[in-house]
Amino acid sequence: MSRRRKAPTVKEDVTCNLIPMVDIMFLLLLFFLLGADMSQREQADLVLPTASEIKEADKNKTEERTTTVNIQHRQDSAAFSCPVNAQGGFCREADHWVIVIRGRDVPRAELKNQLKAEADENLEPDIDPAAGVRLSAQKVTIRADKAAPYGDVNKVIETCSAVGIYKVEVGAAVPAPGS
Amino acid sequence: MAGVSVGESEENPVNINVTPLVDIIFCLCVFFMISFKFKQLEGKFDSWLPKGKGATGSVQIEGLLDEVRVAMFWDEARQVTVRQLRNRRIETDQELSQLIKEAHDDWVRMNKPDTPVTIDAEARVPWNDVIKVMNLCKQNHIDKIEFALGAPPPVAGQ
Repeated sequence: MSRRRKAPTVKEDVTCNLIPMVDIMFLLLLFFLLGADMSQREQADLVLPTASEIKEADKNKTEERTTTVNIQHRQDSAAFSCPVNAQGGFCREADHWVIVIRGRDVPRAELKNQLKAEADENLEPDIDPAAGVRLSAQKVTIRADKAAPYGDVNKVIETCSAVGIYKVEVGAAVPAPGS
Repeated sequence: MAGVSVGESEENPVNINVTPLVDIIFCLCVFFMISFKFKQLEGKFDSWLPKGKGATGSVQIEGLLDEVRVAMFWDEARQVTVRQLRNRRIETDQELSQLIKEAHDDWVRMNKPDTPVTIDAEARVPWNDVIKVMNLCKQNHIDKIEFALGAPPPVAGQ
């Protein structure tokens, strides 16, 4: 009896096991989802000055009502460009710097009204004996770009004082380790 | 033999097509990877404005001399900030830190430990240089830092 081998079939069933890939992709997705910082839209994307003695924000502390005032350079666009700022220099043009509150550019002439409105939303319950008026319990955080002119920061501080906001803090970045 | 399952398809009769799931997860992954940015750690320097001065804008004249005043000017030609303490120009951070400490210690010896360091900067001075001086004060354990209003005194030697 002759033994005849069966001819190999051409049809091969190559199945790719996708389950480990799905597992890893789920993990990656979870990592990026948790790492994404979508909560702080109030904070503009700017380069803060660094300070080693800065007090890191305490996340466990109960949050006081805070208004963040950002002082940043105008973004380059088709209609506007600033070569000094683009090259990392110190742009000293007053109209190139904008004050941004809650994502909206606030003209300097309107700053007092805007901060007054913020201050009036959260007044202290009692009249302050030193000031003779009800001051605001609102806290203002000033986040100014490292190249921002000090005059703009000073203006915000001065305006806060004028509208009865006395809790003011200035933001800075924690230096990177080893720098 | 009838009734014995041999092939894979008979062991797992329900096939789930995971390809669309992979596609969607992949898209989401790409979206989050592109928008991902390491957040820089931020902190704050607390400051409390004087409660009684804001509304009236009055200045406490009698206290003007009890202070350590750091004057800062913007040198447009050199694109640097010139710092001055007690009519002396200061070049390095180390020197400024030393002088601030000495000046503050003088006030402490005179029983005035609450004497502030007043930063009197020109409007064009970059904020980074002001923060640097604040940081030097904090390094020397000086917590009372004030900002002066108005233009600083003239630069020494000009």
